[in-house]
Amino acid sequence: MRPLPDLLGRLGIGAKLGLLLAAFAILATGLTGYYSYSQSRNLLVNAAERELLTATQVLGRRLVVALAGVADDVRLLAQAPATRRVVQGDRNGGARDDLAETFSALLRVHPEYFQVRLIGAAHHGREVVRVDRDDGRLVRLDGPLLQEKGYYPYVFHTLELTPGQVYLSPIVINHEQGAHAGLNKPSLQVATPVAGADGQVWGVAVVNIDVNGLFDLLKADLPEDFWLYLTNERGDFLMHPEADLTFGFDRGRRVLVQDTYPAVQDLLDHKAKTVVTRGEQSVGPVPADAVAAFMRLPIGVPSEGRFVILGLSQPIQTVLAESRLLGQTTWQLVLAFSLLAVAVAALVSRAVLRPLNMLVAAAQRFSREHVMGELPLARRDEFGTLARSFGEMQTQIGAHLAELYESRSRLDHLARHDPLTGLPNRRFFTDRLEHAVATARRKGGTLAVLFIDLDCFKEINDSLGHGVGDEVLRETARLLCASVRETDTVARLGGEEFVILFDTVADPRDVALVAEKLLQRFQLPLQVADRSLVVQASMGISRYPEDGADAASLLHSADIAMYRAKHQGRNTYRFHDTPAWPAGEVPVAAPPAVE
Amino acid sequence: MPLPHLICRPAARGFRLIQLGLAVLGLALFSTWAAAQGRETLRILAWPGYADADLVRAFEKRHDVRVEVTLVESDDALWSRLRANRGGDFDVLAANTAELRRIIDDGLVQPLDLANIPNTRQQLPRFRDLASLPGVVRRGQVYAIPYTYSEMGLIYDRKQVPEPPATVGALWDPRFQGRVLAYNGSSHNFSLAAQSLGSKTPFRIPEADFRKVVDRLVALRRNVRTFYTSPEEAVELFRDNRIALMFANYGTQQLAMLKKAGLDVGYAIPREGALAWLDCWAVSRGAHNPRLAEAWINYTLEEPVSSALTARQGLANTLREPSHLPPGAGLVWLEPVEDAGRRAALWRRIIAGDTPERF
Repeated sequence: MRPLPDLLGRLGIGAKLGLLLAAFAILATGLTGYYSYSQSRNLLVNAAERELLTATQVLGRRLVVALAGVADDVRLLAQAPATRRVVQGDRNGGARDDLAETFSALLRVHPEYFQVRLIGAAHHGREVVRVDRDDGRLVRLDGPLLQEKGYYPYVFHTLELTPGQVYLSPIVINHEQGAHAGLNKPSLQVATPVAGADGQVWGVAVVNIDVNGLFDLLKADLPEDFWLYLTNERGDFLMHPEADLTFGFDRGRRVLVQDTYPAVQDLLDHKAKTVVTRGEQSVGPVPADAVAAFMRLPIGVPSEGRFVILGLSQPIQTVLAESRLLGQTTWQLVLAFSLLAVAVAALVSRAVLRPLNMLVAAAQRFSREHVMGELPLARRDEFGTLARSFGEMQTQIGAHLAELYESRSRLDHLARHDPLTGLPNRRFFTDRLEHAVATARRKGGTLAVLFIDLDCFKEINDSLGHGVGDEVLRETARLLCASVRETDTVARLGGEEFVILFDTVADPRDVALVAEKLLQRFQLPLQVADRSLVVQASMGISRYPEDGADAASLLHSADIAMYRAKHQGRNTYRFHDTPAWPAGEVPVAAPPAVE
Repeated sequence: MPLPHLICRPAARGFRLIQLGLAVLGLALFSTWAAAQGRETLRILAWPGYADADLVRAFEKRHDVRVEVTLVESDDALWSRLRANRGGDFDVLAANTAELRRIIDDGLVQPLDLANIPNTRQQLPRFRDLASLPGVVRRGQVYAIPYTYSEMGLIYDRKQVPEPPATVGALWDPRFQGRVLAYNGSSHNFSLAAQSLGSKTPFRIPEADFRKVVDRLVALRRNVRTFYTSPEEAVELFRDNRIALMFANYGTQQLAMLKKAGLDVGYAIPREGALAWLDCWAVSRGAHNPRLAEAWINYTLEEPVSSALTARQGLANTLREPSHLPPGAGLVWLEPVEDAGRRAALWRRIIAGDTPERF
């Protein structure tokens, strides 16, 4: 596996720049998106918490009002003259019947009332008038069926109150045998003292409330997913959507609100009046995160400091339903901006890369072909400056190179030509000859070499000076060049020796004709340094393939033929090996005519 | 190596690693979940203070089980709960020897294997002699192990009652009318009433005497402020209602709680002898895992656990002799009553407030 830095190192600068830009842009949009999402989520949760608390307080208010309504009913009963007469021991059965009728009427109006009673302080709290609800009908109990209730807190506590005060019992399961519909049901007793005509407390009026019925009314218009809780002063659930968890203390297994919502402990400890908290709302076996608000609700006589805890919870999912949409939108935006960022990064990296690539291409082309490529010269940024500097550098290098080429070709020319006559020198001629021999050999062609040596040149040099000698040589070169075809090569081998290469000689007589023509030209005086000079020459001819298989032997053969011409009287020409042709067709070289 | 390999291979390996990681994580989560789901549960039916949360947690940790404690506050509640599902709702329970007898009679518990409860060797000799304890051994098989005991004496407010009450009759004393606290339980109250009527066999009330005892209990009802069930409730009622005298169903446990609440209380053993209970652990017939239930019993007999019972609840344990009982104090160990069902039915009517003429 190739390490990451290595892989990164292989990336081009454009890709790196693009990656960096894209990563930065994606990070920025992602962070912004996340931050705004979590902020709005928090706002939503906070708003939900406030709403929940408000809803709890409204419910609490409603509970207080409902209980106040019950208290008013109980007070009304307690203050009715009939009640006061009966409690003082009015033995008139009619008055008790009337009172029972009143109680029945009250029970009919309030389906959430289990039982309405008048209990006397005398006879150990013996009931005086009692009407119970039983299976949808009302039952009046009388005579021996009336029970003694003096040891129940709702009797002995209420008897200690002043008329007008109302006692609210703890909410418990009613186990009083004979309580009819209310037996073994969650109940709340609301009681108030009944004063007689003398102002003394003679008994208590008690209403037993069906707690479930009361709370059904209370939560009637709560949304489905709102859960309502009620606990007593110790935190035992009295009301919970899971009915199994209520009144646990009655079954020996307490279920406490502070175990589910530890923050509620502050309410129980009087450290706070309301709390908003998070906890687990157990819906079946699956726990769901919930927001919950709880409030302490004082009930009963203020001096006793009694209270219940009322609470509402709502699954966090519901609260966050809106934020889910928000989250979706946020992430879509983040995605869109990230894509945009990637596109922009790609564009930027291309924009940076293009002039760079142009520079690279220009540099490569320049080094390969020494030709200037296209450069972003018009740009006004750093790339433009770089391109312009690069262009200047290219121009300078180009000029230097041209100069170098020129001097090199001059040197080359010098090395292959005779400086005096401008004719190819021996080396160049040898090259040409070798090349021609090779071609002739391959094609089965023929060629001839004419060796020319000026006669008596030393004497001209010695008598008339080197300047004249040089002039003679130059004139000779001109003469030779003018006498041959363009394809033939005239060269100066050195001193007064010249040589001519005849490429493609179809007939040796053609060479002989040229030699003849040259001999005649040499008979004419040359105009050198304002004087006429006759300069004659001896010439030797060698032919390929007859007189040599290579350049050296051909030249050598021509040289030998030239010497033969010199020895045989000068101012003439000789073949190295005289070709056979019909006599008389070619004029025999005339003897030299020395001026 | 061709380039594509260089790029693709690590990515593929990384992906496979992620897959593997996810699989391992999933497996771990699942096994945790499964363990949580599958964790065994020990269901205890006991009295307040017998299974404190911290001691329960230590046991849960040691045996990697979940413990579910159900508290009872009266023998009637214990009996009805145990019987509700033929003992199938609980694994281990605490009941006094008198109750145990009818529980064994009813086949609600099963014999114990003492080899699984080695801590019984730490108990005082009189609790190790199981045959001498009533209602523990049946047909040579041990059904219960003693755990704690207490006499049910009288607690009084030293300020209101200068002299310690000498007799159970004090509960009926009209001087304390409205300042007496009694216990809401049928069996003991009948025994108590019988004792106050001079019976030497309070657990066997003759048919002829029943009416008198009921009247006596109605009289008690008329003399009390109210009835309590839990020891905590008793403390609140005692404090809030200027109680002078209380029948201490939870014995010294309540005395300790009242003193802790700052009340100036005394404790008296009446002349007739205080009813006394000996609570034992027994394993329900319907126990899911009798070995685990026996492990719980063994655990409660460990020195620190038994000592905690004494230190926190003021209840005597079976490992050390208690210090509070005066020498010669008369104890009347609870025995099975003649007809617990009848006592309970009558008591429900008495506590509901029926007048004597209704019986």
